[in-house]
Amino acid sequence: MNLIQILILIFIAYVIYRLAIKLKKREFSIQVFLLWLIFWIAVGVIVVLPQTTQLVADWLGVGRGVDVVIYISILVLFYIVFRIFARIEKIERDITYLVKDISIDKAEKGKDADPLPSLSSRAKSRDLSDSIE
Amino acid sequence: MSKIFIVIPAYNEEKTIAKVIEGLLQENYNNIVIVNDGSADCTSKIVLNYPVYLLTHNINRGQGAALRTGTEFAVKQGADIVIHFDGDGQHQVKEIDDFVEKINQGFDIAIGSRFLSGAKNIPFTKKYLIHKPAILVNWFFSGLKLTDAHNGFRALNRHAAKKIKITQNRMAHNTEIPAEIVKRKLNFTEVPVEVIYTEYGQGFGGGIKIILDLLKQKILN
Repeated sequence: MNLIQILILIFIAYVIYRLAIKLKKREFSIQVFLLWLIFWIAVGVIVVLPQTTQLVADWLGVGRGVDVVIYISILVLFYIVFRIFARIEKIERDITYLVKDISIDKAEKGKDADPLPSLSSRAKSRDLSDSIE
Repeated sequence: MSKIFIVIPAYNEEKTIAKVIEGLLQENYNNIVIVNDGSADCTSKIVLNYPVYLLTHNINRGQGAALRTGTEFAVKQGADIVIHFDGDGQHQVKEIDDFVEKINQGFDIAIGSRFLSGAKNIPFTKKYLIHKPAILVNWFFSGLKLTDAHNGFRALNRHAAKKIKITQNRMAHNTEIPAEIVKRKLNFTEVPVEVIYTEYGQGFGGGIKIILDLLKQKILN
């Protein structure tokens, strides 16, 4: 076995250990745990027996096994990046929404301004307003 | 008499905001909403010396977000007409009347344009490197061809203020609003305005950022 294989195997062992801890703390469900476990075991198999990828390569009509791994990795990575990208965008919008609502609930008036007539009725109509403050 | 609300997004405008507010009060615009968009300076403190409403974003969310906050607040306070106005003194108070007149004529929304009035104050480079491309970008993303793509001076009637949803936090709301006009089938017009340049504004980098924001929106929605 090459040094690189040993290093990757140690890394995989560490990741699976972390997964087990997260499962124990119930940070994610058994289904998610199994999914990741299968994924990392598959990675381990490929690392120890690189020939196995050749089977997939032949099946898919791609020349070398290692190419299959790279193609699939890139696709998966792109997909994950897109998902994260969309997620951040949503979080940004949610933050803006919260900031907006908080600022309206806490509207201030300057010197001699008309009182804020609807302030109390607004607070009543919205259940969240108390918990936000 | 329709109830006019002036909404001013303010991000670090301590140097100019007092003058802008005083100018508006002098002309008897008494419903002024300042949205302090997470300023790090004394903007809030200065604003509270005047008879105006102050809304505070605890963190900076961008001009689009600030306008949305201010507009929603104005609608809740019973505004008939909502004016979007800049806090840096580049817009002229006397021109608000022109906008109000258009709304009273039955338009849902009136957007300011520097190019209808002959565009005498605009630096040459700014006109051809920023404004003209921006008009095309706007047209491409919204389907509406305005003569001035990035003008923060607008008037909305109550109907438009309720309908238009600004989801772009930063500057791309300038394109989003025309897109909303098309989508909501609003009746719009342009109003010639004169802009007093205080500094160079957004520049080319800002323009690129707007395009990226718009592309993001196209891809994700």
